Amino acid sequence: MTLLKIEDLTKVYEGKVTHRALNQFSLEVEKGEFVAIMGPSGSGKTTLLNVISTIDRPTSGSIELDGVNPHELDKTKLAYFRRKELGFIFQDFNLLQMLNVEENMVLPLTLADVKVSEMQKRVNYIAKELGITGILEKRPNEISGGQAQKTAIGRALIHQPSLILADEPTGNLDSKSTKDVLELLGRINKRENTTIVMVTHDPIAASFCDRVLFIKDGEYFNEIYRDDQRQTFFQGILNVLSLLGGNVGDFTSVRLP
Amino acid sequence: MTLRQFAFRNVIRNRRVYAAFFMASVSSVMVFFIYSMLMFHPRVENEFVTEIAFRGMLIAEVILVLFMLFFLFYSMRAFLEARSKEFGILIQLGMEKKQLNKLVLFEILIIGLTSIILGILFGFVFSKFFFMIVREILEITSLSLYFSWKPFALTIGTFTTLFIVISYVSIFTIKDDNIIKLIKGYQKSQQDVKFSWFRAIFGIVLLLIAYFASANATKTNLITLVGVLPPIVTLGTYLFFTDSVQIFLKLIKRNKNIYWHKYRLLSVSEISSMLKSNARMFFISSMVSVLAFMAIGTLSSLSTFSHKYHQLNPLSLVYTSSSQNPYERQHITQLQEELQDAGLSYRLDRIVVKRQTSTNTEATVRIISERDLNNLAMSLGYPLISLKRGEAMFLAYSEESLRKLSKEKVDTVLKESNVKLSIDRTYPKIVFAADKLGTNQIIVDDDDFTHIYAPMQGMAGAASSSHLYIFNVPKWQETKYIGHNLDAIMNAAYATDNERSLPFYFENTGLDYSFIRSTFALLLFIGLLAAAVFFLAAGSFIYFKLYTNLDEEKKQYSTLHRMGVTKKELRKLVNRQLIPQFFLPWGIAMLNSTFAFLSLQVFWRGIADLSIMREIIFVMIALTVAQLLYFYLIRWRYLAHLKI
Repeated sequence: MTLLKIEDLTKVYEGKVTHRALNQFSLEVEKGEFVAIMGPSGSGKTTLLNVISTIDRPTSGSIELDGVNPHELDKTKLAYFRRKELGFIFQDFNLLQMLNVEENMVLPLTLADVKVSEMQKRVNYIAKELGITGILEKRPNEISGGQAQKTAIGRALIHQPSLILADEPTGNLDSKSTKDVLELLGRINKRENTTIVMVTHDPIAASFCDRVLFIKDGEYFNEIYRDDQRQTFFQGILNVLSLLGGNVGDFTSVRLP
Repeated sequence: MTLRQFAFRNVIRNRRVYAAFFMASVSSVMVFFIYSMLMFHPRVENEFVTEIAFRGMLIAEVILVLFMLFFLFYSMRAFLEARSKEFGILIQLGMEKKQLNKLVLFEILIIGLTSIILGILFGFVFSKFFFMIVREILEITSLSLYFSWKPFALTIGTFTTLFIVISYVSIFTIKDDNIIKLIKGYQKSQQDVKFSWFRAIFGIVLLLIAYFASANATKTNLITLVGVLPPIVTLGTYLFFTDSVQIFLKLIKRNKNIYWHKYRLLSVSEISSMLKSNARMFFISSMVSVLAFMAIGTLSSLSTFSHKYHQLNPLSLVYTSSSQNPYERQHITQLQEELQDAGLSYRLDRIVVKRQTSTNTEATVRIISERDLNNLAMSLGYPLISLKRGEAMFLAYSEESLRKLSKEKVDTVLKESNVKLSIDRTYPKIVFAADKLGTNQIIVDDDDFTHIYAPMQGMAGAASSSHLYIFNVPKWQETKYIGHNLDAIMNAAYATDNERSLPFYFENTGLDYSFIRSTFALLLFIGLLAAAVFFLAAGSFIYFKLYTNLDEEKKQYSTLHRMGVTKKELRKLVNRQLIPQFFLPWGIAMLNSTFAFLSLQVFWRGIADLSIMREIIFVMIALTVAQLLYFYLIRWRYLAHLKI
């Protein structure tokens, strides 16, 4: 079943210099799929993610999530749509500093006015799943980057959205935490059948996905599917990247917006 | 680019941050300057505005300067902390601490000097307007604008010193020994807010005790309370903001059914961290508000007092003459002529007052005759009386004594003249205030009165009786220029401590009234100006704090927006973030002042029997409206900055 369907998406930034960030881009994501989107800096990855997450409007083209075109909704309904259907994971976690880990995770549920017993049940379940049960009372500035990102993942998962959007989730993490976080995402994807769309620079991160899609200058470039061997998949990603002709410097873990 | 240019550009480019406290500085310089203009006014110095108003102004100026010292220091420090990253980078790039100090010094001086210049300029421009108000208050014919170096010198001198002191002190708050810490910023560590149960409960208990005591204040314990309560309330308020509030929030947090509900999760935790980091500021701003409320409330209750003045002093002009006064005839004729010249109608009554000692209480009693009182009552439109021999009536000197005396019955003998009297009634009106005929006044039958001839013990025959010439002028408020030369003689006698040797005493209710009224009104005016500055400063501090945290807040709101919080809900969240900042200190200030006014009411009951309720409610409503306006103004700016 197709969950996310993007057709001929074009985004033009008007300004002193008109910039075409996305050009007739199409994409379909199946339910339960774990997709990575790769491309050099300025290729339009983040724009794509912003348009999918409905905080940016496309110039033309259409998006459908579960049969709904969110850009046709009014502002309030759009906000409710995001609240219900989408979960976000950011590069710099964006945890709220004054809330502790547990409170950060239940935040989406409190906004949706869920019963407290239900919230508590889900927090406990997800914290166990993520392995952060021991730090529930801690503040975001008292925990490590990996733990912070796990908290953010918990926050994105807790309301069981139909789509999770991750923007460079491993960009600020060391290699050990990167591996932890990605394995976690992969496991959740398999067990809960959660659909994840992830934008990344990091070929290692991308190699944990089912499918990697490459874009260049706002247009579809190529895509490859994962086979049984993650090693060969990783090799394949590297090959496409070298074909993309980006500079090596683009593939550092530090990404400029 | 020289260091000076750099400093200048920093100020210009940070103008939005500096704007709030620039505004507060300018307005305080302005108010200070206006006070000085009034203080040094050549006409004010030798006219009626005497000591009290003058001292009031001086005190207001001192308070203003102290407050500004504190306010500037506090906001400067917060501002420098907010810019610590910038300083860290400068030091990393190789700037010496000495140069950094110079930079900060320049910046503060640029702001200081500009606000002094602008404040004086505005002050000078508006002083004509303020002079007009003061002229109306004092009811003098003209209070012209003048030019003298004194107010300028005082204002420039005071504030330049203030700013230099502030800049030197705030330089010391920048610590350059740990650059990493500077660059990372003084991130308020977002740990669980710490507080102690003991201090929290102690704070509440202190407040409750204070409230209970002031609600049950009586005349007898009032003096003690005035000494004891302010420190208790101050400590209680402090602990309330640092600890007690946190306890309430902790209790909310413990109950997830309440806490994990919609935005409460966000707003409660936001409030608790905001309250902790700003507890001191809230404490000070609420105490300052209490001061302002109290000042305005007290002063406006004084105006109530002056309104009631006439009721307490119904006689317009009173000329008291000892029986050996050689000028008596001359003065009375003069007063009559003056009243005629001024076109004021009047009735003149002459009253003989005799003094005797009561055997009952051994106290001095002042006695007037039935006939004299009836004559006077005719002029005043008061009820007439008739007494038989041996009967007498009390004459009350205040409303409270009126109540007390009406229950009393006394049989006494006037010691010196051996006249038996039974006093069982009280005249229903107040005629002579205590300062005219003392606190023991009685009326006796005419025959009895003639039998009172023996002088008071230890006094010459003539000294124990005196004459009162009472002019009743229907337009009593217009008599203030009557009998000016008598006032002058009396003032001269007072100045040389010879008042006892004067054979007469002249009282002009119209003049006293206008004097009291204008003094109080002027004090009120001074108090209002100072309160306005406090108010502005407290608000601008909140704005300033909000502004320095703006980037962090922006990021947070954009995260929430992305997570699906609607703009309407974001505005609600902003409201919940702002409302406690504005209205918690305000609420505590209101509570504190309400109870303070309860005690004040007891005080006023004691001396003049008047209710200040109306004035207080009016003051509170006015301040609340002002606070609301301020809240909406700042909310509007804040939302504009956050772009939601």
